[in-house]
Amino acid sequence: MNESTLNLTLPITGMTCASCVSHVEGALKELSGVKQVIVNLATNKANLVYDPKQVGLADMQRAVESVGYSVPTTELTLDVGGMTCASCVAHVEAALNELPGVNEAVVNLGLGNARVTYIPGVVTTSAMKRAVSEVGYEASERSEGADALDRERQVREDEIKRQGRNLIIAGTIGLIVMIGTFYDMLGPLKAFVPEFLSYKWVIGLLTTPIVFGPGRQFFTNSWRGLKHGVTDMNLLYATGIGAAYGIAVINTLFPKAGFGGEGATFFESAALLTAFIILGRWLEALTRGRTSEAIRKLMKLQPKIARLIRDGKEEEIPADEVEIGDLILVRPGEGIPVDGAVIEGYSAVDESMLTGESLPVEKKAGDTVIGGTLNKTGAFKFTATRVGKDTALAQIIKLVEDAQASKAPIQKLADWVAGHFILGVHMLAVVVFIFWFFFGYRWFFDPNSRFILSPYALGEIGVFGFSLLLSVTVLVISCPCAVGLATPSAMMAGTGKAAEHGVLFKGAEAIENTSKLQTIVFDKTGTLTKGEPSVTDVVISNQRSVTSDTDHLLRLAAIAEKNSEHPLGEAIVQGAEARGLVIGEAERFNSIPGHGVEAQVEGRAVLLGNRKLMLERAVDFSPLMAQAEALEADGKTVMFVAIDGQPSGLIAVADTLKEYTTEAIQRLHRLGIETAMITGDNRRTAEAIARHVGIDRALAEVLPQDKAEEVKKLQALGKKVSMVGDGVNDAPALAQADVGMAIGSGTDVAKETGDVILIKDDIQDVVVAIEVAKATMRKVKQNLFWAFVYNILGIPLGAGLFYPFISLIISPELAGLLMAISSVTVTLNTLLLKGFKPTIRHGDRPQRGAGEPKSRLSPVATSSD
Amino acid sequence: MEYERLEKEVARRSALMYIPVSLGAASLFYLAASLVGGYPPVARIGGMVWVGLLSLIVSMPIITSRVKRQARGQ
Repeated sequence: MNESTLNLTLPITGMTCASCVSHVEGALKELSGVKQVIVNLATNKANLVYDPKQVGLADMQRAVESVGYSVPTTELTLDVGGMTCASCVAHVEAALNELPGVNEAVVNLGLGNARVTYIPGVVTTSAMKRAVSEVGYEASERSEGADALDRERQVREDEIKRQGRNLIIAGTIGLIVMIGTFYDMLGPLKAFVPEFLSYKWVIGLLTTPIVFGPGRQFFTNSWRGLKHGVTDMNLLYATGIGAAYGIAVINTLFPKAGFGGEGATFFESAALLTAFIILGRWLEALTRGRTSEAIRKLMKLQPKIARLIRDGKEEEIPADEVEIGDLILVRPGEGIPVDGAVIEGYSAVDESMLTGESLPVEKKAGDTVIGGTLNKTGAFKFTATRVGKDTALAQIIKLVEDAQASKAPIQKLADWVAGHFILGVHMLAVVVFIFWFFFGYRWFFDPNSRFILSPYALGEIGVFGFSLLLSVTVLVISCPCAVGLATPSAMMAGTGKAAEHGVLFKGAEAIENTSKLQTIVFDKTGTLTKGEPSVTDVVISNQRSVTSDTDHLLRLAAIAEKNSEHPLGEAIVQGAEARGLVIGEAERFNSIPGHGVEAQVEGRAVLLGNRKLMLERAVDFSPLMAQAEALEADGKTVMFVAIDGQPSGLIAVADTLKEYTTEAIQRLHRLGIETAMITGDNRRTAEAIARHVGIDRALAEVLPQDKAEEVKKLQALGKKVSMVGDGVNDAPALAQADVGMAIGSGTDVAKETGDVILIKDDIQDVVVAIEVAKATMRKVKQNLFWAFVYNILGIPLGAGLFYPFISLIISPELAGLLMAISSVTVTLNTLLLKGFKPTIRHGDRPQRGAGEPKSRLSPVATSSD
Repeated sequence: MEYERLEKEVARRSALMYIPVSLGAASLFYLAASLVGGYPPVARIGGMVWVGLLSLIVSMPIITSRVKRQARGQ
């Protein structure tokens, strides 16, 4: 191997025989720059010698994949400490992405982690950690679940402690430095301050430990980054503090050196700038962790102890040791340790923390329970069905974590801007220095001018001192730390808030897209409707009917249909049961295929079926025909009931709407969103249902396989479209839509397709998802506005743009304070999202039973003349 | 090891470029200040150092990442 070539061992999967070896070798050899390839079938590896200038790892991966094999990748999450701004994100990502073998690295500033997709064997975890550490940050492998929670808390607490300690040192000494600097202005208070504090060399001595103690972090971090070709905001601070301190030292030791003399000793600038920057870091560390509180709350739900029943005896074991099939006892007030099925007992369980359902859900034998939820009233025993990483809670945590670790398009843009901002600021600092040095000082300098919020005149400051001061202020005031925090902090708070309401966003992009939705397409069956027919109307004939009671008619019909296996018959039986009617046995029963049934019930001849059956049996239903047609126009199927040969009534059966469907559609309209329904039903029925619910557009007679095409047609009109479906046969349409929402997934969220998962089978959660997304994006925009406003206003002020008119300049320490405030403003603004509540008041919902929601049968009982 | 060797090579080649660039910018500043005239030596030297430092900070990451990309054949 010569100087310009590298060795690489690439893992390959999918090879089964010698010909596979030759295919892979051939594909790799074809790449220019690959000098030598040896593929080993036994080890499933390819050893290569290649010239990195001519060929990259990505080319090799593509070549292997092009011949039908693959290079396996795996994922790893690293905790990264020391990141403070968007440019840090860019640096860590760049450091990791540069490693041969790393396919993708995505860094989340808010969570303080990096998710790396890499080729195992080509790059090691320690190489990744080293690469991160070389650009000035600390990386460690992420632990799982509760360990991760403890570790994250520990890291955050350490950072708060470290910056708190730095703040005490820098703040206390900085205050003394300030008192010393402004000694002449103290008036009567001078009596309490020793005069020696005003001596320049004393102020210098006091400032030195601040700069080299708490301020050292900025110098070391920026130097480590610079060595690897990266700049971050530490560099802005380091140059700012360093320049202020350096000039002050020169002016103190050599007052005649021409740097502005004693009037231009910036010790207080160096001291207070350091103190304010550290104040900002400390406040950030304090508040930043709170934006990810949702994930911590979820992790905390996991009970630590399970009450295991073994050989009839109760035994307490750690919850993570529960195995599938174990029998667990849960007492009132206790948390449920894992997922399972109730086998004995009865209770009400609070599932609000996972599903957002505010009312306790009844649990009895046969019902499922979710780990992490809270048992309220009774005791019960259950068998563990899902443990560890497979529990609903673990899946939800993973989903929320993944969403928080992802980046929205707006965040990628903000990161890019912030990443390039610092270099731009340094260039601007050169321009500002040159302008004030060669032109500005000569044209505009006024010896009586002063710093904003300072009584001291700039006086004898020279051209170099003045130009340097403005140049340093530009560096300090331009820090894009707030820009970096603006988006991820809001995204974290938003995904967490949504999870609290049982809405899971699969990524930050899903939030951004959801906030922009213009049209929502609902699948009809199973989404808007319950997906099973039920009795909607019972009509009695007042003329010749043997009964005037709708319940009586329904009961007779149900007895007649009891032995029927037809879905419409089952709907009638269920409808009668739902009304609490007693359904006995028919004395005689006969099914008339394609028409209906006839039966002998309580001594009466009951004939039940379609219109054709009645015509054949010469039963005259003309008095009820108008009502029958009206019901059919509403998309309902009408069953005619004749008793003892007399037309007695009509029973209409339809797939009933889910609870709150109409309310949800109304809310969507109030949000300015167009609604559409997609169904295989005929146009008349589809339009009738759409009209009834208030949906704007009915897409009728659409075959399941054509749903995606309908979504595409709407997108072609320039609309941002969401598809809401139960995910069973909607997967292609969910994938085609800008945002696919899978509704009613329950807690087995890992299997769900779609960008947004609505755990509950409640269509109102579509509104919740949109409201949370809109609130989150509103927060992102507010944050970006505030972050940029500070910089947009601060930079001209710092550069002295207004100096010719107002004779005031901003001091570096005030610039530092403003930047600290900008970060804290953004974080506090994000925290306001914690108080967000969807417009739907969950507390108003009726309590649901243990199983599926019960049908709210409300037949329209009418009579006919 | 291969990666570290490459990194060292990149660092060496980059330094050979950004140091002259920043020294050039600093010298240019000194020359301009001298030609304009009226500046005390300390201002000229101080300005030269500051411009040189900022030029180094600007050129170092730009050149290093470009050399790195070239070395990796991207």
